[in-house]
Amino acid sequence: MALLEVKNLEKNFGETKVLRDINFTLEKGQTLAIIGSSGSGKTTLLRCLNLLETPDSGSIHVEDEVIFDPSLPAVTSAEAIRRKRLHFGLVFQNFNLFPQYTALQNVELARRLLAEERPDFKQNKKAIYAEIRENAEKLLTQVGLQNRMDRYPHQLSGGQQQRVAIARALALRPDILCFDEPTSALDPELTGEVLKVIRGLAEEKMTMVIVTHEMEFARAVADQVLFMDEGIVAEAGTPEEVFGNPKNPRTKQFLDKYKEM
Amino acid sequence: MSFWTVTTILADGFINTGKLFFLTLLGALPLGLLVCLASMSKWSPLAKLADSTSSKAMQWIAGFRPISAVMKFIVWIVRGSPLMIQILIVYYGPGLLFGLPLLPRFTAALLTFIINYACYFSEIYRGGIQSIPKGQYEAGEVLGMTSRQIFFKVTLLQLIKRIVPPMGNEFITLVKDTALVRVIAVYELIWMGESFIKKGMMWPLFYCAVFYLAATAILTFALDRFEKKLSYFN
Ligand SMILES: Nc1ncnc2c1ncn2[C@@H]1O[C@H](COP(=O)(O)OP(=O)(O)O)[C@@H](O)[C@H]1O
Ligand SMILES: [Mg+2]
Repeated sequence: MALLEVKNLEKNFGETKVLRDINFTLEKGQTLAIIGSSGSGKTTLLRCLNLLETPDSGSIHVEDEVIFDPSLPAVTSAEAIRRKRLHFGLVFQNFNLFPQYTALQNVELARRLLAEERPDFKQNKKAIYAEIRENAEKLLTQVGLQNRMDRYPHQLSGGQQQRVAIARALALRPDILCFDEPTSALDPELTGEVLKVIRGLAEEKMTMVIVTHEMEFARAVADQVLFMDEGIVAEAGTPEEVFGNPKNPRTKQFLDKYKEM
Repeated sequence: MSFWTVTTILADGFINTGKLFFLTLLGALPLGLLVCLASMSKWSPLAKLADSTSSKAMQWIAGFRPISAVMKFIVWIVRGSPLMIQILIVYYGPGLLFGLPLLPRFTAALLTFIINYACYFSEIYRGGIQSIPKGQYEAGEVLGMTSRQIFFKVTLLQLIKRIVPPMGNEFITLVKDTALVRVIAVYELIWMGESFIKKGMMWPLFYCAVFYLAATAILTFALDRFEKKLSYFN
Protein backbone atom coordinates (compact mmCIF):
# COMPACT_ATOMS: atom_id res chain seq x y z
CA MET A 1 0.00 0.00 0.00
CA ALA A 2 1.23 3.46 -0.91
CA LEU A 3 2.41 5.77 1.87
CA LEU A 4 0.78 8.82 0.28
CA GLU A 5 -2.35 8.74 -1.81
CA VAL A 6 -3.82 11.86 -3.42
CA LYS A 7 -7.15 11.46 -5.21
CA ASN A 8 -9.10 13.89 -7.42
CA LEU A 9 -7.66 16.88 -5.61
CA GLU A 10 -9.15 20.23 -6.64
CA LYS A 11 -8.38 23.75 -5.49
CA ASN A 12 -9.85 27.04 -6.65
CA PHE A 13 -8.93 30.58 -5.74
CA GLY A 14 -12.17 32.40 -6.47
CA GLU A 15 -12.86 31.77 -10.14
CA THR A 16 -9.39 30.41 -10.91
CA LYS A 17 -9.12 26.63 -10.96
CA VAL A 18 -5.60 26.19 -9.70
CA LEU A 19 -5.60 22.41 -9.20
CA ARG A 20 -7.83 20.09 -11.22
CA ASP A 21 -8.23 16.38 -10.64
CA ILE A 22 -4.76 15.70 -9.22
CA ASN A 23 -4.09 11.99 -8.66
CA PHE A 24 -0.91 10.26 -7.60
CA THR A 25 0.52 7.83 -5.08
CA LEU A 26 3.93 7.69 -3.48
CA GLU A 27 5.58 4.60 -1.99
CA LYS A 28 7.54 4.74 1.22
CA GLY A 29 11.18 5.63 0.62
CA GLN A 30 10.58 7.02 -2.84
CA THR A 31 11.18 10.49 -4.22
CA LEU A 32 8.64 12.28 -6.36
CA ALA A 33 9.80 15.23 -8.44
CA ILE A 34 7.22 17.76 -9.60
CA ILE A 35 8.14 19.93 -12.55
CA GLY A 36 6.18 22.47 -14.55
CA SER A 37 6.20 26.10 -15.52
CA SER A 38 5.56 28.91 -13.09
CA GLY A 39 1.89 29.27 -12.19
CA SER A 40 1.03 25.64 -12.94
CA GLY A 41 -0.01 24.97 -9.32
CA LYS A 42 3.04 23.20 -7.87
CA THR A 43 3.28 25.37 -4.76
CA THR A 44 -0.47 25.15 -4.19
CA LEU A 45 -0.27 21.33 -4.33
CA LEU A 46 2.45 21.25 -1.65
CA ARG A 47 0.50 23.73 0.45
CA CYS A 48 -2.57 21.50 0.23
CA LEU A 49 -0.54 18.50 1.40
CA ASN A 50 0.69 20.54 4.38
CA LEU A 51 -2.84 21.84 5.03
CA LEU A 52 -1.74 25.44 4.60
CA GLU A 53 -4.56 25.54 2.03
CA THR A 54 -7.83 23.65 2.29
CA PRO A 55 -8.59 21.76 -0.92
CA ASP A 56 -12.08 22.18 -2.39
CA SER A 57 -12.54 18.49 -3.08
CA GLY A 58 -10.66 15.22 -3.36
CA SER A 59 -8.77 13.39 -0.66
CA ILE A 60 -5.33 12.98 0.85
CA HIS A 61 -4.37 9.86 2.79
CA VAL A 62 -1.13 8.94 4.54
CA GLU A 63 -1.16 5.19 5.08
CA ASP A 64 -4.51 4.57 6.80
CA GLU A 65 -4.93 8.06 8.14
CA VAL A 66 -7.20 10.53 6.44
CA ILE A 67 -5.38 13.84 6.07
CA PHE A 68 -8.16 15.42 4.10
CA ASP A 69 -11.50 14.06 2.90
CA PRO A 70 -14.59 16.30 2.71
CA SER A 71 -16.91 13.28 2.37
CA LEU A 72 -16.15 12.32 5.97
CA PRO A 73 -17.34 14.31 8.97
CA ALA A 74 -15.21 17.42 8.96
CA VAL A 75 -12.05 17.44 11.08
CA THR A 76 -11.67 21.15 11.29
CA SER A 77 -10.44 21.68 14.84
CA ALA A 78 -7.13 23.49 14.85
CA GLU A 79 -5.80 20.71 17.06
CA ALA A 80 -6.69 17.94 14.58
CA ILE A 81 -5.18 19.88 11.69
CA ARG A 82 -2.01 20.46 13.69
CA ARG A 83 -1.67 16.73 14.38
CA LYS A 84 -2.24 15.76 10.77
CA ARG A 85 0.31 18.28 9.57
CA LEU A 86 3.02 16.45 11.46
CA HIS A 87 2.98 13.70 8.81
CA PHE A 88 4.50 16.24 6.45
CA GLY A 89 7.46 18.54 6.55
CA LEU A 90 7.88 21.51 4.24
CA VAL A 91 11.03 23.27 3.14
CA PHE A 92 10.20 26.69 1.72
CA GLN A 93 11.73 28.44 -1.24
CA ASN A 94 12.89 31.32 0.96
CA PHE A 95 13.81 29.23 4.03
CA ASN A 96 11.64 31.09 6.57
CA LEU A 97 14.07 30.47 9.40
CA PHE A 98 13.24 32.19 12.68
CA PRO A 99 15.67 35.14 12.75
CA GLN A 100 15.92 35.49 16.53
CA TYR A 101 17.12 31.92 17.04
CA THR A 102 20.47 30.33 16.24
CA ALA A 103 20.68 27.48 13.75
CA LEU A 104 20.59 25.01 16.63
CA GLN A 105 17.62 26.71 18.31
CA ASN A 106 15.75 26.79 15.00
CA VAL A 107 16.13 23.02 14.74
CA GLU A 108 15.22 22.40 18.39
CA LEU A 109 12.28 24.76 18.84
CA ALA A 110 9.35 22.76 17.47
CA ARG A 111 10.42 19.55 19.20
CA ARG A 112 10.89 21.30 22.50
CA LEU A 113 7.37 22.69 22.23
CA LEU A 114 5.93 19.31 21.27
CA ALA A 115 7.78 17.70 24.17
CA GLU A 116 5.83 19.88 26.58
CA GLU A 117 2.75 17.84 25.67
CA ARG A 118 4.34 14.58 26.82
CA PRO A 119 2.92 13.21 30.08
CA ASP A 120 6.41 12.59 31.46
CA PHE A 121 7.67 16.06 30.49
CA LYS A 122 7.83 17.45 34.02
CA GLN A 123 9.83 14.59 35.50
CA ASN A 124 12.15 14.06 32.54
CA LYS A 125 12.55 17.60 31.25
CA LYS A 126 16.35 17.55 31.41
CA ALA A 127 16.70 14.22 29.67
CA ILE A 128 14.14 15.14 27.03
CA TYR A 129 15.86 18.43 26.21
CA ALA A 130 19.24 16.69 26.13
CA GLU A 131 17.91 14.15 23.66
CA ILE A 132 16.47 16.95 21.49
CA ARG A 133 19.79 18.79 21.62
CA GLU A 134 21.71 15.70 20.62
CA ASN A 135 19.35 15.03 17.76
CA ALA A 136 19.54 18.63 16.51
CA GLU A 137 23.33 18.53 16.57
CA LYS A 138 23.29 15.28 14.68
CA LEU A 139 21.01 16.74 12.01
CA LEU A 140 23.07 19.91 11.60
CA THR A 141 26.16 17.75 11.25
CA GLN A 142 24.35 15.68 8.66
CA VAL A 143 23.71 18.82 6.57
CA GLY A 144 27.34 19.90 7.00
CA LEU A 145 26.83 22.71 9.49
CA GLN A 146 28.58 21.30 12.56
CA ASN A 147 30.67 24.49 12.71
CA ARG A 148 27.77 26.89 12.28
CA MET A 149 25.31 25.73 14.92
CA ASP A 150 25.47 28.88 17.01
CA ARG A 151 25.13 31.32 14.13
CA TYR A 152 22.00 33.35 13.61
CA PRO A 153 20.30 33.06 10.20
CA HIS A 154 21.55 36.47 9.06
CA GLN A 155 25.10 35.29 9.66
CA LEU A 156 24.66 32.37 7.25
CA SER A 157 24.72 32.20 3.45
CA GLY A 158 21.52 31.31 1.61
CA GLY A 159 22.72 27.76 1.04
CA GLN A 160 23.55 27.35 4.71
CA GLN A 161 20.18 28.78 5.73
CA GLN A 162 18.38 26.35 3.49
CA ARG A 163 20.35 23.45 4.99
CA VAL A 164 19.32 24.61 8.47
CA ALA A 165 15.72 24.69 7.22
CA ILE A 166 16.07 21.10 6.02
CA ALA A 167 17.47 20.02 9.40
CA ARG A 168 14.63 21.86 11.12
CA ALA A 169 12.04 19.99 9.05
CA LEU A 170 13.79 16.65 9.64
CA ALA A 171 13.83 17.19 13.41
CA LEU A 172 10.13 16.35 13.60
CA ARG A 173 10.68 13.09 11.71
CA PRO A 174 7.95 13.66 9.13
CA ASP A 175 6.75 10.72 7.05
CA ILE A 176 7.01 12.81 3.92
CA LEU A 177 9.27 15.80 3.39
CA CYS A 178 8.19 18.35 0.79
CA PHE A 179 10.48 20.87 -0.88
CA ASP A 180 9.20 23.91 -2.76
CA GLU A 181 11.91 24.94 -5.20
CA PRO A 182 14.55 24.68 -2.47
CA THR A 183 17.31 26.21 -4.58
CA SER A 184 15.40 28.87 -6.52
CA ALA A 185 16.28 31.69 -4.13
CA LEU A 186 19.98 30.78 -4.13
CA ASP A 187 22.94 32.03 -6.12
CA PRO A 188 23.93 29.36 -8.66
CA GLU A 189 27.16 28.53 -6.84
CA LEU A 190 25.20 27.67 -3.68
CA THR A 191 22.63 25.30 -5.18
CA GLY A 192 25.05 22.36 -5.23
CA GLU A 193 25.45 22.13 -1.45
CA VAL A 194 21.68 22.01 -0.93
CA LEU A 195 21.05 19.49 -3.71
CA LYS A 196 23.79 17.30 -2.24
CA VAL A 197 21.96 17.20 1.10
CA ILE A 198 18.67 16.28 -0.59
CA ARG A 199 20.43 13.61 -2.62
CA GLY A 200 21.80 12.20 0.62
CA LEU A 201 18.28 12.00 2.02
CA ALA A 202 17.11 10.16 -1.09
CA GLU A 203 19.90 7.63 -0.58
CA GLU A 204 18.74 7.14 3.00
CA LYS A 205 15.25 6.44 1.65
CA MET A 206 13.51 9.47 3.02
CA THR A 207 10.11 9.80 1.33
CA MET A 208 10.11 13.14 -0.49
CA VAL A 209 8.08 15.36 -2.79
CA ILE A 210 10.35 17.86 -4.51
CA VAL A 211 9.16 20.75 -6.64
CA THR A 212 12.19 21.80 -8.66
CA HIS A 213 13.47 23.46 -11.79
CA GLU A 214 16.76 21.54 -11.58
CA MET A 215 16.00 19.03 -14.32
CA GLU A 216 19.24 17.07 -14.14
CA PHE A 217 18.86 16.74 -10.41
CA ALA A 218 15.24 15.57 -10.74
CA ARG A 219 16.22 13.04 -13.34
CA ALA A 220 19.05 11.68 -11.19
CA VAL A 221 17.27 11.56 -7.84
CA ALA A 222 13.55 10.99 -8.47
CA ASP A 223 11.83 7.64 -8.67
CA GLN A 224 8.76 9.29 -10.15
CA VAL A 225 8.16 12.53 -12.01
CA LEU A 226 4.98 14.59 -12.39
CA PHE A 227 4.76 17.27 -15.02
CA MET A 228 2.13 19.84 -14.09
CA ASP A 229 0.55 22.14 -16.60
CA GLU A 230 -2.19 24.68 -15.83
CA GLY A 231 -3.36 22.85 -12.74
CA ILE A 232 -3.45 19.30 -14.09
CA VAL A 233 -0.97 16.44 -14.08
CA ALA A 234 -0.14 16.50 -17.76
CA GLU A 235 2.33 13.65 -17.59
CA ALA A 236 3.56 11.20 -14.97
CA GLY A 237 6.09 8.40 -15.00
CA THR A 238 9.63 7.38 -14.24
CA PRO A 239 12.37 9.91 -14.99
CA GLU A 240 13.34 7.87 -18.04
CA GLU A 241 9.80 8.05 -19.39
CA VAL A 242 9.13 11.72 -18.69
CA PHE A 243 12.55 13.13 -19.54
CA GLY A 244 13.67 10.55 -22.10
CA ASN A 245 10.47 9.96 -23.99
CA PRO A 246 7.77 12.52 -23.15
CA LYS A 247 4.38 11.66 -24.66
CA ASN A 248 2.57 14.94 -24.11
CA PRO A 249 3.64 17.70 -26.53
CA ARG A 250 3.40 20.19 -23.64
CA THR A 251 6.01 18.22 -21.70
CA LYS A 252 8.29 18.19 -24.73
CA GLN A 253 7.87 21.93 -25.17
CA PHE A 254 8.62 22.57 -21.49
CA LEU A 255 11.71 20.34 -21.44
CA ASP A 256 13.05 21.85 -24.66
CA LYS A 257 12.95 25.26 -23.06
CA TYR A 258 15.27 23.95 -20.31
CA LYS A 259 17.66 22.33 -22.77
CA GLU A 260 18.17 25.67 -24.46
CA MET A 261 19.27 27.28 -21.22
CA MET B 1 13.81 83.91 44.92
CA SER B 2 16.82 81.68 44.67
CA PHE B 3 17.64 79.37 41.80
CA TRP B 4 17.34 76.44 44.18
CA THR B 5 13.83 77.39 45.34
CA VAL B 6 12.66 77.75 41.75
CA THR B 7 14.18 74.37 40.94
CA THR B 8 12.33 72.62 43.75
CA ILE B 9 9.03 74.26 42.80
CA LEU B 10 9.46 73.29 39.14
CA ALA B 11 10.49 69.78 40.16
CA ASP B 12 7.24 69.54 42.02
CA GLY B 13 5.35 70.33 38.80
CA PHE B 14 7.59 67.94 36.94
CA ILE B 15 6.43 65.07 39.16
CA ASN B 16 2.91 65.63 37.87
CA THR B 17 4.22 65.70 34.30
CA GLY B 18 5.97 62.38 34.97
CA LYS B 19 2.80 60.93 36.44
CA LEU B 20 0.85 61.93 33.36
CA PHE B 21 3.57 60.42 31.16
CA PHE B 22 3.72 57.02 32.86
CA LEU B 23 -0.02 56.67 33.44
CA THR B 24 -0.65 57.51 29.78
CA LEU B 25 1.72 54.73 28.70
CA LEU B 26 0.18 52.33 31.19
CA GLY B 27 -3.24 52.93 29.68
CA ALA B 28 -2.42 53.58 26.02
CA LEU B 29 -0.06 50.67 25.37
CA PRO B 30 -2.69 47.95 26.08
CA LEU B 31 -5.62 50.04 24.79
CA GLY B 32 -3.70 50.67 21.58
CA LEU B 33 -3.31 46.92 21.09
CA LEU B 34 -7.06 46.45 21.50
CA VAL B 35 -7.75 49.27 19.04
CA CYS B 36 -5.29 47.68 16.62
CA LEU B 37 -6.91 44.25 16.85
CA ALA B 38 -10.36 45.80 16.43
CA SER B 39 -9.29 47.80 13.40
CA MET B 40 -7.89 44.60 11.87
CA SER B 41 -11.09 42.67 12.64
CA LYS B 42 -12.39 40.77 9.62
CA TRP B 43 -15.88 40.31 11.04
CA SER B 44 -18.38 40.95 8.26
CA PRO B 45 -21.93 40.03 9.33
CA LEU B 46 -23.29 40.36 5.80
CA ALA B 47 -20.71 38.09 4.13
CA LYS B 48 -23.44 35.57 3.21
CA LEU B 49 -24.96 38.09 0.80
CA ALA B 50 -21.97 37.66 -1.49
CA ASP B 51 -23.00 34.11 -2.44
CA SER B 52 -26.44 35.07 -3.64
CA THR B 53 -25.57 37.97 -5.90
CA SER B 54 -23.05 39.14 -8.43
CA SER B 55 -23.85 42.85 -8.38
CA LYS B 56 -20.86 45.03 -7.55
CA ALA B 57 -22.76 47.12 -5.01
CA MET B 58 -23.99 44.06 -3.12
CA GLN B 59 -20.49 42.58 -3.14
CA TRP B 60 -19.24 45.78 -1.55
CA ILE B 61 -21.93 45.67 1.12
CA ALA B 62 -21.19 41.99 1.79
CA GLY B 63 -17.53 42.79 2.35
CA PHE B 64 -18.33 45.52 4.87
CA ARG B 65 -16.47 45.09 8.19
CA PRO B 66 -18.29 47.22 10.77
CA ILE B 67 -15.88 46.88 13.71
CA SER B 68 -12.89 47.63 11.58
CA ALA B 69 -14.66 50.55 9.86
CA VAL B 70 -15.78 52.18 13.11
CA MET B 71 -12.32 51.81 14.65
CA LYS B 72 -10.58 53.21 11.60
CA PHE B 73 -12.96 56.18 11.66
CA ILE B 74 -12.25 56.89 15.33
CA VAL B 75 -8.50 56.60 14.77
CA TRP B 76 -8.79 58.96 11.82
CA ILE B 77 -10.62 61.59 13.90
CA VAL B 78 -8.26 61.34 16.85
CA ARG B 79 -5.10 61.44 14.78
CA GLY B 80 -6.41 64.15 12.50
CA SER B 81 -7.38 66.74 15.11
CA PRO B 82 -5.27 68.77 17.56
CA LEU B 83 -4.65 67.14 20.93
CA MET B 84 -5.25 70.47 22.65
CA ILE B 85 -8.80 70.64 21.33
CA GLN B 86 -9.37 67.03 22.40
CA ILE B 87 -8.33 67.96 25.95
CA LEU B 88 -10.80 70.84 25.96
CA ILE B 89 -13.59 68.65 24.57
CA VAL B 90 -13.07 65.92 27.17
CA TYR B 91 -12.90 68.46 30.00
CA TYR B 92 -15.74 70.82 29.04
CA GLY B 93 -17.74 68.72 26.58
CA PRO B 94 -19.74 66.51 28.98
CA GLY B 95 -20.78 69.58 30.98
CA LEU B 96 -21.73 71.71 27.97
CA LEU B 97 -23.59 68.94 26.17
CA PHE B 98 -25.25 67.01 29.00
CA GLY B 99 -24.86 69.24 32.05
CA LEU B 100 -22.64 66.64 33.72
CA PRO B 101 -20.23 67.73 36.48
CA LEU B 102 -16.66 68.42 35.36
CA LEU B 103 -14.11 65.63 35.69
CA PRO B 104 -11.10 66.39 37.88
CA ARG B 105 -8.59 68.22 35.67
CA PHE B 106 -5.85 65.62 35.88
CA THR B 107 -8.32 62.78 35.16
CA ALA B 108 -9.68 64.55 32.09
CA ALA B 109 -6.16 65.21 30.81
CA LEU B 110 -5.09 61.61 31.42
CA LEU B 111 -8.20 60.21 29.74
CA THR B 112 -7.59 62.33 26.64
CA PHE B 113 -3.95 61.34 26.47
CA ILE B 114 -4.72 57.65 26.82
CA ILE B 115 -7.28 57.75 24.00
CA ASN B 116 -5.12 59.92 21.78
CA TYR B 117 -1.95 57.87 22.24
CA ALA B 118 -3.81 54.56 21.98
CA CYS B 119 -4.81 55.60 18.47
CA TYR B 120 -1.22 56.41 17.49
CA PHE B 121 0.06 53.21 19.10
CA SER B 122 -2.59 51.14 17.32
CA GLU B 123 -1.17 52.21 13.98
CA ILE B 124 2.34 51.29 15.11
CA TYR B 125 1.16 47.87 16.27
CA ARG B 126 -0.66 47.38 12.99
CA GLY B 127 2.40 48.30 10.96
CA GLY B 128 4.47 45.89 13.06
CA ILE B 129 2.05 43.01 12.74
CA GLN B 130 1.66 43.49 9.02
CA SER B 131 5.40 43.69 8.48
CA ILE B 132 6.02 40.17 9.79
CA PRO B 133 6.32 37.92 6.75
CA LYS B 134 3.52 35.38 6.31
CA GLY B 135 6.23 32.76 5.94
CA GLN B 136 7.07 33.05 9.65
CA TYR B 137 3.55 31.98 10.62
CA GLU B 138 3.49 29.26 7.99
CA ALA B 139 6.87 27.88 9.05
CA GLY B 140 5.50 27.62 12.59
CA GLU B 141 2.29 25.98 11.44
CA VAL B 142 4.08 23.41 9.32
CA LEU B 143 6.25 22.58 12.35
CA GLY B 144 3.11 21.70 14.30
CA MET B 145 3.02 24.77 16.53
CA THR B 146 -0.23 26.14 17.93
CA SER B 147 -1.14 29.73 17.11
CA ARG B 148 -0.31 30.64 20.71
CA GLN B 149 3.13 29.13 20.40
CA ILE B 150 3.70 30.87 17.09
CA PHE B 151 2.76 34.21 18.64
CA PHE B 152 4.87 33.88 21.76
CA LYS B 153 7.84 31.91 20.43
CA VAL B 154 8.13 33.16 16.87
CA THR B 155 6.51 36.50 16.10
CA LEU B 156 6.37 38.43 19.39
CA LEU B 157 10.06 39.27 19.63
CA GLN B 158 10.20 40.20 15.94
CA LEU B 159 7.18 42.43 16.51
CA ILE B 160 8.78 44.14 19.52
CA LYS B 161 11.95 44.73 17.55
CA ARG B 162 9.99 46.41 14.79
CA ILE B 163 7.82 48.62 16.98
CA VAL B 164 10.46 49.85 19.41
CA PRO B 165 11.89 52.61 17.18
CA PRO B 166 8.52 54.18 16.19
CA MET B 167 7.19 53.72 19.74
CA GLY B 168 10.28 55.49 21.05
CA ASN B 169 9.53 58.48 18.85
CA GLU B 170 6.01 58.62 20.26
CA PHE B 171 7.32 58.41 23.83
CA ILE B 172 9.51 61.44 23.20
CA THR B 173 6.63 63.33 21.65
CA LEU B 174 4.50 62.41 24.65
CA VAL B 175 7.01 63.95 27.06
CA LYS B 176 6.59 67.27 25.28
CA ASP B 177 2.84 66.92 24.66
CA THR B 178 2.24 66.82 28.40
CA ALA B 179 2.77 70.60 28.33
CA LEU B 180 -0.56 70.91 26.49
CA VAL B 181 -2.62 70.02 29.57
CA ARG B 182 -1.82 73.51 30.76
CA VAL B 183 -4.95 74.62 28.80
CA ILE B 184 -7.13 73.18 31.53
CA ALA B 185 -4.76 74.30 34.27
CA VAL B 186 -3.37 70.97 35.42
CA TYR B 187 -0.51 71.72 37.79
CA GLU B 188 2.35 70.35 35.77
CA LEU B 189 5.75 71.73 34.85
CA ILE B 190 4.67 74.47 32.41
CA TRP B 191 1.89 75.68 34.68
CA MET B 192 4.41 76.03 37.50
CA GLY B 193 6.85 77.82 35.17
CA GLU B 194 4.18 80.26 34.06
CA SER B 195 3.12 81.01 37.63
CA PHE B 196 6.44 82.84 38.12
CA ILE B 197 5.53 85.38 35.44
CA LYS B 198 2.99 86.92 37.78
CA LYS B 199 5.86 87.51 40.19
CA GLY B 200 7.77 89.25 37.42
CA MET B 201 10.14 86.36 36.69
CA MET B 202 10.42 85.18 33.09
CA TRP B 203 13.43 82.89 33.28
CA PRO B 204 11.82 79.99 35.23
CA LEU B 205 9.55 79.32 32.26
CA PHE B 206 12.55 78.92 29.98
CA TYR B 207 14.28 76.88 32.63
CA CYS B 208 11.44 74.35 32.23
CA ALA B 209 12.90 73.34 28.87
CA VAL B 210 15.90 71.90 30.73
CA PHE B 211 13.61 69.46 32.53
CA TYR B 212 12.08 68.27 29.25
CA LEU B 213 15.53 67.98 27.69
CA ALA B 214 16.78 65.93 30.62
CA ALA B 215 13.75 63.65 30.43
CA THR B 216 14.02 63.09 26.68
CA ALA B 217 17.77 62.52 26.98
CA ILE B 218 17.27 59.76 29.54
CA LEU B 219 14.48 58.26 27.48
CA THR B 220 16.53 58.32 24.29
CA PHE B 221 19.41 56.64 26.08
CA ALA B 222 17.19 53.90 27.50
CA LEU B 223 15.50 53.26 24.15
CA ASP B 224 18.87 53.07 22.40
CA ARG B 225 20.06 50.50 24.90
CA PHE B 226 16.94 48.44 24.35
CA GLU B 227 17.26 48.64 20.56
CA LYS B 228 20.88 47.49 20.80
CA LYS B 229 19.77 44.53 22.90
CA LEU B 230 17.55 43.42 20.05
CA SER B 231 20.12 44.05 17.33
CA TYR B 232 21.54 40.54 17.48
CA PHE B 233 19.09 39.43 14.81
CA ASN B 234 17.56 40.92 11.69
N1 LIG C 1 -3.51 32.76 -2.40
C1 LIG C 1 -3.82 32.84 -3.70
N2 LIG C 1 -4.87 33.57 -4.12
C2 LIG C 1 -5.19 33.63 -5.43
N3 LIG C 1 -4.53 33.02 -6.40
C3 LIG C 1 -3.46 32.28 -6.05
C4 LIG C 1 -3.04 32.15 -4.68
N4 LIG C 1 -1.96 31.35 -4.65
C5 LIG C 1 -1.71 31.00 -5.91
N5 LIG C 1 -2.60 31.54 -6.76
C6 LIG C 1 -2.65 31.34 -8.22
O1 LIG C 1 -2.64 29.96 -8.45
C7 LIG C 1 -1.85 29.64 -9.59
C8 LIG C 1 -0.83 28.60 -9.23
O2 LIG C 1 0.09 29.15 -8.34
P1 LIG C 1 1.28 28.32 -7.70
O3 LIG C 1 0.71 27.14 -7.03
O4 LIG C 1 2.07 29.26 -6.89
O5 LIG C 1 2.10 27.86 -8.97
P2 LIG C 1 3.61 27.41 -9.12
O6 LIG C 1 4.14 27.10 -7.76
O7 LIG C 1 3.57 26.22 -10.01
O8 LIG C 1 4.33 28.55 -9.76
C9 LIG C 1 -1.28 30.94 -10.08
O9 LIG C 1 -2.08 31.38 -11.16
C10 LIG C 1 -1.41 31.86 -8.91
O10 LIG C 1 -1.58 33.19 -9.36
MG1 LIG D 1 5.78 27.96 -6.77
